[in-house]
Amino acid sequence: MAAEHHNGMQCNEFDALLSDALDQVLSGPKAQAFQAHAKTCAVCGPLLAEAEAGKRWLEQLVEVEPPVHLVHNILAATTGIDTARLHAPATAQTQASWFDRLRNWASLVVSPVFAVVKQPRFAMSFGMAFFSLSISLSLTGVKLSDVRHADLRPSAIRRSYYETTGKVVKYYENIRFVYEIESRVREFKRATTPAEPAPEKKDNHQRNDNTSGQPDDKQQRNYSRGDSQVILAALPDNPPVVRFASETQATLRRML
Amino acid sequence: MEDAQLAAMLVRRCVAGDAAAWEELVQRYNRRIYNICYRFAGSADDAQDLTQEVFIKMYRTLKSYDLERGAFMTWVTTITRNLLVDHFRKTKQDRMTDSLDTAPSEQEDAMPLSDRIPDHGPSPDAHSQSREVGETVQRALQKLSPDLREAVILRDLNDLDYREIATVLKVPEGTVKSRINRGRAELARLLQRTYKQVM
Ligand SMILES: [Zn+2]
Repeated sequence: MAAEHHNGMQCNEFDALLSDALDQVLSGPKAQAFQAHAKTCAVCGPLLAEAEAGKRWLEQLVEVEPPVHLVHNILAATTGIDTARLHAPATAQTQASWFDRLRNWASLVVSPVFAVVKQPRFAMSFGMAFFSLSISLSLTGVKLSDVRHADLRPSAIRRSYYETTGKVVKYYENIRFVYEIESRVREFKRATTPAEPAPEKKDNHQRNDNTSGQPDDKQQRNYSRGDSQVILAALPDNPPVVRFASETQATLRRML
Repeated sequence: MEDAQLAAMLVRRCVAGDAAAWEELVQRYNRRIYNICYRFAGSADDAQDLTQEVFIKMYRTLKSYDLERGAFMTWVTTITRNLLVDHFRKTKQDRMTDSLDTAPSEQEDAMPLSDRIPDHGPSPDAHSQSREVGETVQRALQKLSPDLREAVILRDLNDLDYREIATVLKVPEGTVKSRINRGRAELARLLQRTYKQVM
């Protein structure tokens, strides 16, 4: 804008006051000088008219309605992005917490047991207990494989209990039978041996002196179970020798 | 003042993670921002996209907004204006590649605004007439240079004061006033010519 001077006001000064004049905030001597410049300046006069017209045109423009989905779209684009960003780790956290909760629960239940079992002395006791149990079971005829495949229904358990109990009782009876026989044998021994305690001793001495003590020892044993047994035992092999042997024995007894 | 205090309160709540406060900010400011974008870009579709971009940028930079330093509306308008400048540069490049050998002034002469104004018969009612006027003014506004256009939009359509506009545009207040004057005058010249031809 040319720096022309009209009525004490330059064109750039007019330009600076133009908007205020249109806003109707210009008053006093400034407003008078402004109006005077507008009337006389060939550039600023039309500018005032056009600016005023332009302002009125713009006042014709009414506010337009935004699209109905604008707010929704903005919220989806903003909080949507945010929820995708913030809620993703949150969701992962909830999922993780489920696993954590389950794991914690499991460890709460299991870990004390394992903690005890993991200790060497308990592990040893555990092992020993299992070992002795398996030995006891195998002695009674129960195989671990059978136990593993055992039917665990109450009736089946009852049946296996009675079977096992029967086996244990049989085992016990067998052992009792063995001990009974052994004790009877001991009683029989005691009943037969007191009659000749000394000759047995002397016999032992003789046998110790005798270089060929092996057959004598055999015979001596036979004696302890009765003479008839010895004879019967000797008969099939060589009756004369046996007879001789019994004769020798009788002779020996007579000599003693 | 009351508006600025409310905005400041909403911003504080948003920064604290209050989704409802953010929604209220969107509800309160979407119309204003949409209108700036629509008047500058001249297209409802562009205005919608631009408004969305403005709010996305706002949402991301809300924490950086200094409540003490400036009015919320100035901050929001600055974001909007910067996006409009980017948009203009982009579309200007598109337009230039579209018609390389046609000078804008020649195009303007060859295709005056009146050619695009619908046939004038007696208007059925005042509403449709004002709508037609509005469309004509909007088209004229599109012919203003972006510097003048943004100045008159912020002043005459958004009622920002010269100081606020100076802050948004980062130019002295005198420059703002000068642009507004020239923008208004240019718009009037464009519309005067149009209506002279029509009438
Ligand atoms: Zn002048």
